[in-house]
Amino acid sequence: MATRFWFYAGAALLLLLASAALFAPLLTPYDPLQQNLEQDLITHSRQHLLGTDKLGRDLLSRIIFGARISLLVGASTVGISLLIGVAVGSLSGYAGGIADLLFMRLIDILMAFPGILLAIAFSAILGPGLDHVILALALIGWTGYARLIRGEILSLRERDFVSAARALGCRPRRIIVLHLLPNLLPPLFIQATFGLAAAIVAEGSLSFLGLGVAPPTPSWGSMLNEGRQFLLVAPHLTAYPGIALMLTVLALNLIGDALQDRLESRTR
Amino acid sequence: MKRYLLYRLALLVPTLFGVLTLVFLFIHVTPGDPVDIMLGETASAADRQELRQILGLNKPLAEQYRSFLIKLSRADLGRSLYERRSVAAMVSERYPATLELALCAMGAALFISFPLAIWSAVRHGSWTDRATLMFSLLGLSMPNFWLGPLVMIIFAIQLGWLPVSGRDGPDHLVLPALTLGLGMTALLIRMLRANLLRVMSEDYVQTARAKGLSERSVWLKHTLRNALLSLMTVVSLQFGSLLAGSLITETIFSWPGIGRLTMQAIAMRDYPLVQGCVLAISLSYVFVNFFTDLIYRWVDPRITYGN
Amino acid sequence: MPRSKYFLSIGLVLTFSLAACRPTRSDHPPDYLVAAIESYPLQLDPRYATDANGVRIGNLIYNSLLRADPESRLRPELAKSLQLLDDRTYAIDLREDVKFHNGQPLTAADVKFTYESILDPDSRSPKRGNLKLLRAIERTGSYQLRFHLFTPHSPFIEQLTLGIVPADSPANPAVPTQAPPGSGPFVLQAAEPGEQITLRRNPHYWEREPPLAGIVFRIIPDALVRILEFKKGNIDLMQNDIEPDMLPWLEKNTGADIGAYPGTTFQYIGINLTHPILKNVKVRRALAYAIDRDALVRHILKGTGTVAGGVLSPFNWAYEDNVEHWPYNPERAKQLLDEAGFPDPDGDGPLPRFRLSFKTTNIDLRQRIAEAIKEQLQRVGIELDVRSYEWAAFYSDIKKGSFHLYSLAWVGILDPDILFQIFHSASFPPAGDNRGHYSNPELDRLLEQGRATTSQQERRLIYARAQKILAQDLPYVPLWWWKNVIVKKPTVQNFIPYPDGEMISLKETRWAADTR
Repeated sequence: MATRFWFYAGAALLLLLASAALFAPLLTPYDPLQQNLEQDLITHSRQHLLGTDKLGRDLLSRIIFGARISLLVGASTVGISLLIGVAVGSLSGYAGGIADLLFMRLIDILMAFPGILLAIAFSAILGPGLDHVILALALIGWTGYARLIRGEILSLRERDFVSAARALGCRPRRIIVLHLLPNLLPPLFIQATFGLAAAIVAEGSLSFLGLGVAPPTPSWGSMLNEGRQFLLVAPHLTAYPGIALMLTVLALNLIGDALQDRLESRTR
Repeated sequence: MKRYLLYRLALLVPTLFGVLTLVFLFIHVTPGDPVDIMLGETASAADRQELRQILGLNKPLAEQYRSFLIKLSRADLGRSLYERRSVAAMVSERYPATLELALCAMGAALFISFPLAIWSAVRHGSWTDRATLMFSLLGLSMPNFWLGPLVMIIFAIQLGWLPVSGRDGPDHLVLPALTLGLGMTALLIRMLRANLLRVMSEDYVQTARAKGLSERSVWLKHTLRNALLSLMTVVSLQFGSLLAGSLITETIFSWPGIGRLTMQAIAMRDYPLVQGCVLAISLSYVFVNFFTDLIYRWVDPRITYGN
Repeated sequence: MPRSKYFLSIGLVLTFSLAACRPTRSDHPPDYLVAAIESYPLQLDPRYATDANGVRIGNLIYNSLLRADPESRLRPELAKSLQLLDDRTYAIDLREDVKFHNGQPLTAADVKFTYESILDPDSRSPKRGNLKLLRAIERTGSYQLRFHLFTPHSPFIEQLTLGIVPADSPANPAVPTQAPPGSGPFVLQAAEPGEQITLRRNPHYWEREPPLAGIVFRIIPDALVRILEFKKGNIDLMQNDIEPDMLPWLEKNTGADIGAYPGTTFQYIGINLTHPILKNVKVRRALAYAIDRDALVRHILKGTGTVAGGVLSPFNWAYEDNVEHWPYNPERAKQLLDEAGFPDPDGDGPLPRFRLSFKTTNIDLRQRIAEAIKEQLQRVGIELDVRSYEWAAFYSDIKKGSFHLYSLAWVGILDPDILFQIFHSASFPPAGDNRGHYSNPELDRLLEQGRATTSQQERRLIYARAQKILAQDLPYVPLWWWKNVIVKKPTVQNFIPYPDGEMISLKETRWAADTR
């Protein structure tokens, strides 16, 4: 069936990228940071399959290491966002009342800013660096999960099995973790997949604007930024990292899509 | 309906307030000193102190916040530290350009996505359907900081069909609008197509068909109408991301709008200007959401706020 | 419900179509020359202009008593003659045929007003510090005046390159649109903030009427877009801030005239001499040996620079060529580091001898240079932590002394007295620009002498000695003098490059077909 094909296609692509990221030091023919000024801006050669950048660094090696950065930033961001989002969402949804109102207002306020703007502001304050990027992105990314969790918990809260658990004297936290959350894993996972894609693009945007990962760390976004000035003489500097970025996001979208299709057909 | 309106208005107030506070807070916490740049190298410490005082950068944070709120109530956004002009004036000068770009991007997105989505839904399962889906998936996956330079090179330089940058006539809109709107186009295609497919398979549509209504009127009366509703929410939600995307797209194409102004202001640490820009963008977003909510509710009272 | 949908869609279509039609920007006459610059000048009023573009455009609108020529020598402009009456008094005779753009004649009163206005604390001019040795300005006739200094100060003459504004011009820092009228070859026609500045020819200019009808300075911050606009033909002239690797492309793909001319802008690495490791002169010399400046100029700058020996370039009348140069020699660098007491813990392994931070701005080219330097220093066992900031934060840190190493450039060097401002022990910020806190009593004495002596011959000897000391002691590691790269259409003729990037020759520039 079409869905399953796309799912596997996406998964395969993602697996390829993830293993490239994981085994990067073994796969890369060169040290991504090693410069060679004499060999700058080569388009491709036998020694450099994808060419070199302005400082003579091998592009293929940098792209592979870039996968590492992207996936690292993406996964960490989503991880932290999930933690915050689930905590806030479940608290808000289950407790209701003032807490709920306050948290929802906070979320409304945070979502009143287009994400990138907040990310730029945070990055400008915190300064460049990998951990700062993750922090900035996580701080703006948790709202989606919180809303999702809250919505689901609100609807599940009055269900029989929950009342039963409450009648049995289970403490709220136990109820949330043991009974409610497991039902929420599928939609959460789907949202996280798309969230991962968004985080990777966001990191790219920040690095593109000079606010993300500090050089010479190879991030796809900063490679796109560096390559931009050479667009007319060395388009490969922009093309290859851009394609890598696009493929990663594509893979995640394919997976997320397929899962969503599956989920929807199940719940209908 | 009236009750809902009041309810939403009441919720709007704390949201606005929170937005304002957040905006104020991060501008003032950023490092870097605008006074240094303005006065240059040879100014004395005394001169610097004086300027800082005039600009109000000396006062404690709480007091700055207070005067910020008071001025805001008078629609006084302060003066740009660099250009010494009213921030409100600068923002309102640039705002139409961004609005134009965003609306054009949205219009282009709607224009392209409608026929494609309908075509795709009608030919569900065929190659054209799959091709459209793949196209939209690719569109979603391409960041605008890559797409921008790419289309610039292809269409403006290699082919020479369109201008490179700036805002000097309708043809200048094409590339930036397409770049900004691609993500939205992709999203709209998927959403619209999914909705159309869903509605097409619903019982009442089958019934209408069975009753003998022409395919065309089935479409017009039921399918499209329902699909349009969800479209509105997507459009309004995406408007915010259009505004956000304008930050990068405007920079790439030298489009004289709020997005580019914001980036320049951040680079210059021009606090009042950054504040004004961020305010303009967030407030637009808040109001667009607010109105979409109202329209949505008005159009289909069955939908309740909350989920 | 159908109605609302229809309204919505009609509304959208209307907005869309409305969006496409709105007034186009005010255009300029086709025979104006269009030049691209990368930032909007903050001020044009010469009393307030401190940014490069503000000064350069200002020099087209205003005249000054003296003006530097393409060989960096000061020549009379508004001043017909200049005499030194004694070691602290200058007597100036003004030209009598100069008029401001509003028709008023330019007299000694205007000159007096301009300088006094800067000295007035209420006007808050950033140039006040430059004039602190000026005691008084005396008007001795309608077109004669005298400058009285507190003490003999030869470098003061450089202050006579200040643009002159009419007397009673408002004293508040104004935006470019409110700049006072000047007497120069061009008149400010329009200023669109952030977009462009338009100048038109001054038909009554006292020298001769400029051949160009007008100039439009278009602000295009993005280097790539500048190049693309040039290719499309929308720009006639660009100076500097062009990616060096794009020059061959420009040559091949446009019919541009491209030239790289030696300049005075000096790129250097600033060192914090209070740092325990960097205060050791052997470490600084090791840095100089370890950085392959030739390779940097050849590959990254693609030849748009000249390896430098010190702050003063060969254009400067006081330039001394016979100083210590530090050719690339990583082995010698390693030796020096060993001698200085910083051995490499693991030979050629990954562990560094020590770590230093290197601050730079986040402009592409600067960052690239920083990364290349990082790699070169790594080869001798020094690990560099490159931090890039945007200008505001960077400058702020530098002034505070919060750095180990940083890279920056000095623009517009005229008088060798700048060495006082940079290296004298009395010039620690905020009094001066000795950000590294260099202190050398012998140099101090020389620099004090240099500014008090009036004989140029004597000064030359003094500064020669100073440059030798600086090249030995290396409070700065000199990198290169930037060349001025000019890209223009072949129809633009008679644009003469100035070593400090001045665009004053636009007053003589003309189109090829023009026979004026």
